[in-house]
Amino acid sequence: MALLPVTGTSPGAAPPFDRARLAQWLIFAITAALMLAPALPILLQVVVDRPLYSEGWQFTLDNIAQLVRDERIGRIALTTGLFALFSVVIAEVLGIAAALLIGRTDMPGRKVMGDVLMWPLYLSHLIFALGWVVMYGPSGFITQSIAQQMGGTAPWNLYSIAGMSVVAGISQAPLAYLYCLYGAVRSVDATLESAARTVGAGPLQVLRKVTLPLMIPSIITSTALNLVIAVETLSIPLFLARPARIDTLSTFLYGEGIAASNPNHGLVAASSLLLMALVGSTLIVQRLLLRHGHRYETVKGKGTRPMVLSLGKLRWPLAGLFAAVLLATVVVPIAGIILRAFTSFLSPLVPVSKVLTLNNFTKLFADEANIRAIWNTVEISLLSASLGTLLAVAVALVIQRSDFRWAGTLEALAYSPRIVPGMITGLGIFYAAVILPPMGWLRGNIGIIVVAYVMATLPLALGVIQPAIVQIGRDLDKAARTVGADWLGAMRIVLLPLLKPALLGSFILLFVFHLKSYIIAIFLMAPGLEVMGVSMLSLWTNGDVGPLAAFASFQIVLIAVLLILARVLFKVKIYD
Amino acid sequence: MTELVLSDLSRRYGQALAIDGINLTVQEGEFLTLLGPSGCGKSTTLASVAGLDQPTGGRITFGERVLADAATGAYLPPEARGFGVVFQSYALWPHLSVEDNVGMALKLRRVGATERGRRIAEALELVELGPLAKRYPGELSGGQQQRVALARAIVFRPPLLLLDEPLSNLDAQLRQQARIWLKDIQRELGLTTIYVTHDQDEALAMSDRIVVMRGGKVVQLGTPQQIYTDPQHPFAASFIGNANLLAVKGEAVAEPGACTVTLPDGQAIRGRTPTGALATGDQLLAMRPHLVSCTPCENASEINVEFGAESYLGDHFEQEAHVAGTAIRLSVEVPQPRGAGRIWIRQQDAVVFAADR
Repeated sequence: MALLPVTGTSPGAAPPFDRARLAQWLIFAITAALMLAPALPILLQVVVDRPLYSEGWQFTLDNIAQLVRDERIGRIALTTGLFALFSVVIAEVLGIAAALLIGRTDMPGRKVMGDVLMWPLYLSHLIFALGWVVMYGPSGFITQSIAQQMGGTAPWNLYSIAGMSVVAGISQAPLAYLYCLYGAVRSVDATLESAARTVGAGPLQVLRKVTLPLMIPSIITSTALNLVIAVETLSIPLFLARPARIDTLSTFLYGEGIAASNPNHGLVAASSLLLMALVGSTLIVQRLLLRHGHRYETVKGKGTRPMVLSLGKLRWPLAGLFAAVLLATVVVPIAGIILRAFTSFLSPLVPVSKVLTLNNFTKLFADEANIRAIWNTVEISLLSASLGTLLAVAVALVIQRSDFRWAGTLEALAYSPRIVPGMITGLGIFYAAVILPPMGWLRGNIGIIVVAYVMATLPLALGVIQPAIVQIGRDLDKAARTVGADWLGAMRIVLLPLLKPALLGSFILLFVFHLKSYIIAIFLMAPGLEVMGVSMLSLWTNGDVGPLAAFASFQIVLIAVLLILARVLFKVKIYD
Repeated sequence: MTELVLSDLSRRYGQALAIDGINLTVQEGEFLTLLGPSGCGKSTTLASVAGLDQPTGGRITFGERVLADAATGAYLPPEARGFGVVFQSYALWPHLSVEDNVGMALKLRRVGATERGRRIAEALELVELGPLAKRYPGELSGGQQQRVALARAIVFRPPLLLLDEPLSNLDAQLRQQARIWLKDIQRELGLTTIYVTHDQDEALAMSDRIVVMRGGKVVQLGTPQQIYTDPQHPFAASFIGNANLLAVKGEAVAEPGACTVTLPDGQAIRGRTPTGALATGDQLLAMRPHLVSCTPCENASEINVEFGAESYLGDHFEQEAHVAGTAIRLSVEVPQPRGAGRIWIRQQDAVVFAADR
């Protein structure tokens, strides 16, 4: 055989500049700017005596003193703490039970029930809270029906700490369920359990002594996430606690920063700092608790089928109980929203057929601002989801697949939004646009919301993309380097094509997240810049429950269609 | 002559030294094997030649080119070195067809489409995979994947071919064939090759020279014959040829040549030392299992042993025996009755080394 002739020029013959390094620095700079731009102005506002946008401010510690002196703060912190604690307990108990029952037993109908359980995750807290108010609030449909039977006294009071804990607990149960299901229940090596059975443990004992302990890291992680969400959620306390004059940190922030005619920015910034400290310490505790994570490592690899536990006689009773809980807590509130959207009034005293109407929709779509909100939301969500996915994959590749010296710092920066509650991200971007000249051009157009969204959801997108990168062997990009591709080339030729499903998953997850989002944009609202979530919030504030229910139904249908399309067209299931 | 020269090469990970001051020169056209157990630093050495791992000390040059120099901080990335690498995992890109995998190097070098097609065909023919050009890696057997990986590494005619345990994922029979086939291609193309393996048979069968490595250091470097017949280190003796190592006592010997050692139970054995420089006291005696005789022979020391269990290995038996409390393995044609017995070892086969450092 003839020798192959020596081929062309060597590709690496002294490159004029290192474009890979340049790209890595660029990614680093963009991420750093995006993450720090909103955080620094908030910190500045904390120690400044008047709003950042006014002239001649001076440094002061007065804001912190004011926060400490404010007698409301103690009660608010206590309320926030109790609410967070109760809601997390409810979410975890439900989530763990569901993960075990659905992932491990022969309970009839477990697949359908697993899908229904996920609904709250696809919808915003705002919609979910609305559904509960409509059905279980003091003048709610179900509350009134039962009160009638009981001679006028309401059986419960949803407008209480207990009430909002239940609503938040139910809406966060899917997160606990997902973490426990995929983190432990599904991935536990079946031989670990078989081993326990060979030494004489019964199936229930195995569940308690082997499976449950192996779930501990998943439980800790989901508990931390749920605590953070409970602390920063706005609509549930706003809808359920405000009427009863109960305040949490988030409603306090909302009241002082948005609803008040003359916002006290110093106090708002100082309480934001308090909120971030709370969230930050939760995440630190989670890290400390998981330090010994390897003790719970479950060896993965071979796709062993997890043991299915037979419930025996309990099969049907448990299924019935589980279905009843789901029906009452998830299906009924959502059905309530849709029912309310098509009626002028909802009460057990009046037959539904007599109050059926399309008026709510007519009213909703008659307002141009609402139409604008829909288009804005779609536009912003598309842009943010694309840019967010792009940034996330760039950051993830630098973190995981480059020898960039500051990769660790980049990772810390990229995950920093986790400790910044969404409302505060918006606030920070608002301040930044006020005081940082280069961000000024973002004011008054959707760019400012896109920037806030991309920043806030970077950890979420990384959460989808990073595990996918881990699955791709390092030899694959090394091989590309050896045949002549530089770092950028190797990423483009090998990793990006292989990451396509993850990128699509991240895009859809972000898109849905932004569609339903309301909290981040609160501080960034301006006439012409409406988004669906914030418009819905003002409908609530104005007492327009009918049009709000119509808007909520519209959003539910939009998201449902999107998810079904994603599943059918791209075979992408988010949260999978 | 383009020589690859590693001087004082080392690689530190935190406290651990993966490579500890390696000096090595690879001649043009040579097939050099890095042989050693896992963790001996052979793969790290290969990775630093490929540019996939940056050494923390020393220097690598290829002809005139400095590939890495810890002193000046010079470091060429892999794409600038242009060496062909075959990975243990093959690392075929699963989303690209066989011809696209092979052609990537040419595409990156901006070779025109027709010329590229011709060279891909040529390389695939060389590895006898022409008909499978349109397939995807997932549709190939392990042996076929390994050949695609080789085609991809040689299609751009690299001046140096680096192979990291390329045959270790194949089954025993396929490995035998691949060994011959790989050696043929290397000889045909005259490619300078560095080959990493932990398999002594592969190393002996394919190499021009073998570098035996342990603990990040070169233990012995030589042709397969030299390494096998004349080990200079007890580790080389035991890793290649499975020699039994026995702790013995002996007198100081300065020069290579004859010496006498004593077993812990007082039996004396006449042997030879290839290295000299033996200190008085603890020494090591290496005996290859098949060079031990169960019948008296000329110029041999007689040793009292306790024969133990035997296992049947087809063409011979492997039998365990205890010498002064230490278990050794013997390769025998007929198993000896268990219990007390005698063996004979010729002086040239009883190799004595200084106690292992």
